[in-house]
Formats: sequence, structure tokens, C-alpha cells
Amino acid sequence: MLSISHLTLTAHLGGQSVEVLRDVSLTLERGKVLGLVGESGAGKSMIGRVIAGHIPTGFEVTKGRIVFDDTDLLTLNRKAWRRLLGRRIAFVPQEPLTALNPVLTIGQTFAEHLAHLGVPAAERRLLMLQQLDSVHLPNPTELVHRYPHELSGGQCQRVLIAMAFAANPALIVADEPTTALDVVSQATVLRLLAEQRRIHQTAMLLITHDLRLASHVCDDIEVLYAGEQVEYGPATEVLRRSRHPYTWALDHATPDVHGPQRQLPTLAGQMPGVSALSGISGCRFAARCPQSQAACTAEPPALAERASGHWVRCIYPREVGARTPVAADEAGSTATGAWRAPRGDAATPSLVELQDATLRYTARRGILGQRKVHNVAVNQLSFRVQPGEFVGIVGESGSGKSSVARLLVGAEQLTSGRLLIEGQQPTGAKALRLTREHVQMIFQDPHSALNPRRSVYRLLTQAYESDRMASQRHPRQERAHQLLNDVGLPQDALMRFPSQLSGGQKQRVNIGRALCVMPRLVVADEIVSGLDVSVQAQVLNLLIELGRRHGIALVLISHDLSVVRYLCSRVVVMQRGNVVEQGNTEEVFANPQHPYTRLLLASVPPADPSIAWPSEIAVA
Amino acid sequence: MTATALTTPPAPRAERFPVTRAALRQLALQRRVWVGGGILLVILLLAVFAPWVAPHDPLEQDLLHMLTPPMWASGGSGDFPLGTDGLGRCVLSRAIYGARVALTVAIVAALGSMLLGSTLALLSGYFGGLVDRAISYLVDLWMSFPPVVLSLILLVGLGTGVDKVILAVVLVDWTRFCRVIRADVLVIRRRDYVLAARLIGFTHLRTMLREVLPAVVPLMITLFSIEMGVAIIVEATLSFIGLSVPPEITTWGQMLADARSDMQSSACVMLTPVLCIIVTVLGCNLFGDGVRVALDPRLRLRGE
Repeated sequence: MLSISHLTLTAHLGGQSVEVLRDVSLTLERGKVLGLVGESGAGKSMIGRVIAGHIPTGFEVTKGRIVFDDTDLLTLNRKAWRRLLGRRIAFVPQEPLTALNPVLTIGQTFAEHLAHLGVPAAERRLLMLQQLDSVHLPNPTELVHRYPHELSGGQCQRVLIAMAFAANPALIVADEPTTALDVVSQATVLRLLAEQRRIHQTAMLLITHDLRLASHVCDDIEVLYAGEQVEYGPATEVLRRSRHPYTWALDHATPDVHGPQRQLPTLAGQMPGVSALSGISGCRFAARCPQSQAACTAEPPALAERASGHWVRCIYPREVGARTPVAADEAGSTATGAWRAPRGDAATPSLVELQDATLRYTARRGILGQRKVHNVAVNQLSFRVQPGEFVGIVGESGSGKSSVARLLVGAEQLTSGRLLIEGQQPTGAKALRLTREHVQMIFQDPHSALNPRRSVYRLLTQAYESDRMASQRHPRQERAHQLLNDVGLPQDALMRFPSQLSGGQKQRVNIGRALCVMPRLVVADEIVSGLDVSVQAQVLNLLIELGRRHGIALVLISHDLSVVRYLCSRVVVMQRGNVVEQGNTEEVFANPQHPYTRLLLASVPPADPSIAWPSEIAVA
Repeated sequence: MTATALTTPPAPRAERFPVTRAALRQLALQRRVWVGGGILLVILLLAVFAPWVAPHDPLEQDLLHMLTPPMWASGGSGDFPLGTDGLGRCVLSRAIYGARVALTVAIVAALGSMLLGSTLALLSGYFGGLVDRAISYLVDLWMSFPPVVLSLILLVGLGTGVDKVILAVVLVDWTRFCRVIRADVLVIRRRDYVLAARLIGFTHLRTMLREVLPAVVPLMITLFSIEMGVAIIVEATLSFIGLSVPPEITTWGQMLADARSDMQSSACVMLTPVLCIIVTVLGCNLFGDGVRVALDPRLRLRGE
């Protein structure tokens, strides 16, 4: 039904032409799901944009055909193409909150969409309510009068799905439909998509960075790297018998929620940017490939069928079941090779302890602010961190886990309860500032956490500009080089500015800055959620290594349970400000007691593609 | 500050230079900076060297040559390149001397309102809460006064003089800086790097000066250049109604006021101060816009 053959998209950048997509082919049959998998910069969204006819200026399709229902989209005129979009081809966007017009109600947006589809005015309301009902949104008649900001991200995404399926399209293009959502909503939205697809017999092109998720949802998977398809075949085949070293690394760089613990293999470096592509003569993956040989850089390898329906673009594909030698730093693995998250010694006095900590925000309502509304962010939380221990706090957005982070670093004051740091309760401004030497924070969004006007040198050693300078043991420059080594940044990075760094590098600077004052505890708030899988694995291993080397304890705040299991020996599960379960990570994950913990665990796509997922999750 | 300077090993020179050098290079790349800066420089030189450049004393009346047309028109003479006004004063000389008052007012008044407005804006945006509410109410109250009335009251109360004009402009226009910069500070205050600086042990003052202030400097420069233009126009307006400076000081506004009666017979007397004002204000705006683009690292990288 949809078939793309030898699609090549060329970008014209300042006089030189770069093939942003090179020779991409795929076919999608009626009612099937094809997953386009890759990290950011792989060109997966670009394929979606080409189908939508939204090619950015400076880009041009130089080769290939996109055939949809026996018509080549590229030869159609704009008007005919646009007529197809929305009716025969529908889109589900990545950011549900920004995709809906904030000044229109859900009903108005929906009616506008239906008008565009040519639904007569009299039938719009009924169809709208039917559609909203079919995506299990509670009380559609009331919902149509609400504005997008009154709904959660998951609800907005469901509205958008209802809109997309209203036209009864033959193809849905979903670009990272769940990336902006938390785990539980992700599973719900994917289930809905599957359900709607079954009803409408719709094919789907799912664009995602999550290989595991794709293996559960899709029939076929196409893995992209730097604008090239590196592997293409049936989903289980690609995941279980991946032949391309990149696919293998992508899968193995994701930590598991169940099963034996293992150290994550990492790929060196990062994906080349668009401007770097023209300088690569051979395989675009060769520079990061652990098994690259001379022939790899000579000329681009061709896509070859290695098993029936399983295409691989590699001269030396992996043997099935072989252990690919991936450059792994040995710092994390113990003598036996088994993986163990850093744990504390229960006998030692705790480093940081929260006792019955409650944090309440007070908002003033009414014209004169006369009504006070209390909002409990953290309720009666008690937990302790031993020196050198990695503790995870998990929960959905709004569970109060970020508030705990702010409490620990002293950015918020407790409403009631006690915060003990090394057995002492910091009081007074001076004591508070002293405790800050012991507790540092790594921020979620490296873009916001790094002052764009400071060079890496001045960011890493920013602490030297404070009055506490006297306590520093090394001269500033020496310390900068130490930190640069610690976080694994190249020497020439010192002079650069944040805008000249990649996402992973920025996060390394972020970590380095927190380490500058030699803290005993580091609080890390969702620090890998914005990173690509292979970069995430690098950062996770780096944290473990730094924790071991400097004896630093870590409190990791995350919604990603697999990351928490990889790093943390103990876990605290939070829901709406309350702790619902806490304990040893392995025990909690293997035998969750609280229904909420079970729900969270069930929302993570399992590593084994044969397990049905998303399964018995109640659509709330 | 001094304590830090003593204990910090001096950062190697190479580490600080690239920043400044990159900014300077960007500055040189901006055509607006060249054009605007050129205009301002010429006017500045004319103002400073007025006694040598101007052909006549601006107050010298030559009653035999009243309303002489400019030299290129018939009846004009080389003695008075732009002709003379109704009292026989050289228009060119008066325009050159007028630049002195205009530039003084522009620079000092803009600097004053920038300092006052930005300081309050930083405090207001950074600390929030009660401080913010107090300052914001003050600004609201201040802005509800008609600016002309406010400056008239001030000048009537204080008397005339260049310093009074400057004070009037500062007291009227600081609110503009305060409002706009406070909005920017509020955004930057929420960036994680501000919290990071506090965690590292920066005091509030140091966080404000090192982390928040540099981020609003480009905006301050833009507002400064606009304010320079506004100050020139306000000064001209006040001189026009005779409230700005004593008559023995030449200003463009006074030239306009004097030329009003002779507008029909000699257009040049009127057009010269008008052109002076337009060109100077344009120069200010171009220069400020170019500098802003050059100093903002985000805009800079996009340009490269």
C-alpha cells in the first residue's frame, strides 16, 4: 500500500550537497505496522515529513519514489497531495500539548478538523462524540468544552488519535507519539493505537527511538543510522537475531527491568551530524563500530538480504548469537563479571536522612489572594541514603519526586519534618551553605542548566568563583583538567561553549560541575530522559564509575524503571506525594507488593519481543 | 570580590580572550554597527570640536543677513552654508552646537534610566515575592502619570537647564527599562543554572551579577540605544516649548521653535534640525541593534 523505494533526500548546505537520507526503501502493507527506529539525527522524522510533503527549505528529494495506493506522491501536485493528507494519511504528532491550539476548546479544534475532512456540519458533533468515546476518554460531552491545558498529556494525545482516526485513514504516521508521555500513559496510548488500528484496518508507520517498544508494537522494523537504513526485517527477527552491530548495540544499551543484571555496552562517540556526513566515504557507522575493518571505510556497503526478508547493510554482519566485542569500560563490573549496582553499608551512619518530611505549597486564589490553597507535594516521607549508595526514586510526573530532589539540595524548605545531613540538621544560612558542599545536583535539562555565556572551563570550575574557594585543594586550571578527565570530555572542550556541545557532552559538563566541590551526595533529576539510548548508556556507566572512584552517593530521580534498576540498589516508589513502596531494587522489582508498583513495572516494554505488550493495563 | 581575586589563581589569558575576540569579530561583521557607529562618531566629533568646525558663533546675530537661503540656492552665500534664521544666525553652526546638548542628554539620560530601571528590575525579578510586588506596583503607578505632565511638573519645579532635562528623562523613562528587563529576568531566574550557581555557593549578589545580569545585557543595550533616541526627542520637545534650557544654549528643539515663524519663507531653517534629529536617532537605533545581535551568543551562532 505504501512503498518507498530508493528515496534519497539531499540537503544543500552552503554550497555543498549532503545526502541526509540515502537510498531508503520500505514497504508497508494494509493493516500492518512498520517501525522506523533510530536515535535523534538518524533521519527517521525526515521520512515522515517527506510523506507529509513538509520538506524543509534547502532539502530536496533527488531520487526515489513514494508510492501510496498506486500513485507516486512525489509526482502529485500540492493540491492533490494535500487532499490525501488528513483523509487517507493521518498524522499523530510528538508533542500533544503543542499540537492542539491552546485558545480553542477540544470541540472547536475537532470540529475544524472534521470540516476540513468535509463532514457536514450537522453530523460533526455526533461523530466527534463517538470518536472521543472510542478512545476511552471519560465524559466526552463535557470534554469538548475543555481547553488543551486542562487535560493531561496522555489525554491530549488520545484526542489527537481520535481526530486522526475520524477520517478512517488507510495510513497513520505516528512520530514519537509517546515520547512526551510518562510510562503509564505510554502503554495506554499504544494500546489505544493498536485497538483503533484493528477497528479501522489502518496501517501505521511508527517513528520511535525505542527499539524494544517498536519490537512489541510493529510487524516490521527498519533501523536507521545517519540517514541510512542499516537493518530491515520482521520485528522479532531484527531484535532477536540482529545482524547489524548498531542494532545489536542499540538493543543492548537499554537496561532491563527483569532478568540477570549486566553491564551496558557502550558505543564510543555519537552519530555524525548532517554537516559531517559528506566527509564519510564508506559505511556511516564505521567510526563507532567495534568491528569495523579497512573495507568498511572504502565504500558504502550495500543493503543485502541475509535471511528471508531480513536486510542488512553491513559487510561483516554479526553471526546470530555471537557476542560482539564492544568496547566496555571495566570499572563497573566486579571480579565475577556479574553486575551490581552500588550499594551502601547498612552499618555506617546515614549520609542524608529525611524524617517525616512534608512539603506543602501554598497558592493564593481569589482576586486579593484571600483564599489559600494547600498542595501537598511530599507527604510524610522518610528515607535515608548511606555513603556511596545509589538510591532511585520513581513515579509518574506529579508524584512529587522532583520536590524531593529540591528538598535534598535545599532549594525548598520543609514544611514539617527533618532533613539530616551527616546526622546534623542544617540551620541558619551559613550552615545551609556548608551543607551544600556535601550535596550537589545534576539537572534534568542540560540546555537550561548550563549558562550559555560560560565556557566549559568556567562552567566546570564555577565553584571557584564563590567564597568557599579557600576549601579547594587544587588550582583552578588543574581541577578543570581533572574534571574533564573524570567526565570523559576531550581536552579541547575547555574553550567551547554549551551551544557547541552535543546533548551527551552537555550532560557530562553538568555532571562535572556538580563534582567540582567533591560532594558526598549527588541528586540527579531525570538526567538521562532527554538522551539517546547509546548516549544514555555512556552517561549511566560514567555515573557508576564516578560513584565508585570518589565514593559518592547518588539519589536518582527517574520515571524510567530500567535505568533505576541498573544504577540503584534501593528504590523508593512515589505516588501523589506518598511513598507506596520502598526497598531493595531487586526485591521490589521481582515481587512488587503495591498495585501502583506493579502498574509501573507492567508499563515498561519487556526485552523479550514474544511477551505480549502492552497487555492488561486498565485504560484509566 | 576582592577576596576572590586574591585567592583565585589568575585564569590564563587565552581562556578569557576568545570570548571577547569572538564578540568583537561579530561586531565587525554587523553592517548596522558600522553604519550606526559611523553616524554617531561623526556627530560626536562635530559636537566635541564644534568651536573649530562651526563657521560662526551660534549666537552671533547678523541682522543684515536674515533668512539667507542655503549656499546652493540663488541668493545664498558661502559664508552661511545652510543659510541663516530669522535673527541672522548661522543655521549650520547652530546645528553643530545643538549636537552637544543632544548627545549629552542622550547618553547621560539613557545611562541614568538604564541604571535605575535595571537595578530595580534585577531585584524585582530575582527575589520575586514582596520585593517584586512593591516594585511592580511602583512602576504601574509611575506609568499611569502622563509623561509630558510629569516632566513639565519637574521642570517647572526645578527650573531649566541641561541637568534638569536629564533628570526629567530619567525619572520618566526608567519604568520602561524596569518593565522589559524584569520580564527577562523572570525567565532567566527559572533556568536551572541559576539554581546551580546557588548550590555551588554563590551569594545572591554574585548569582545576580554573574549569572542573571550577563543574560540581560543584550536587551539592556538595545533599550539603551532606543532610550538615547527617545531622550533626544524628549529634549527637543521640551526645548520646543521653551522649558528645557536657557536661550543662550543652542539646541535642536529651540531651532525648531525659532524656525516655526519663518517656516513659509525658509524651509531649510526648519529642515536642518529635523534632519539632525532623524539621523542621530537612526544612528542610535542601528548601532544598538547591531551590538545586541553581536553580543548574544545564540544569535551569533545562528549567524555563523
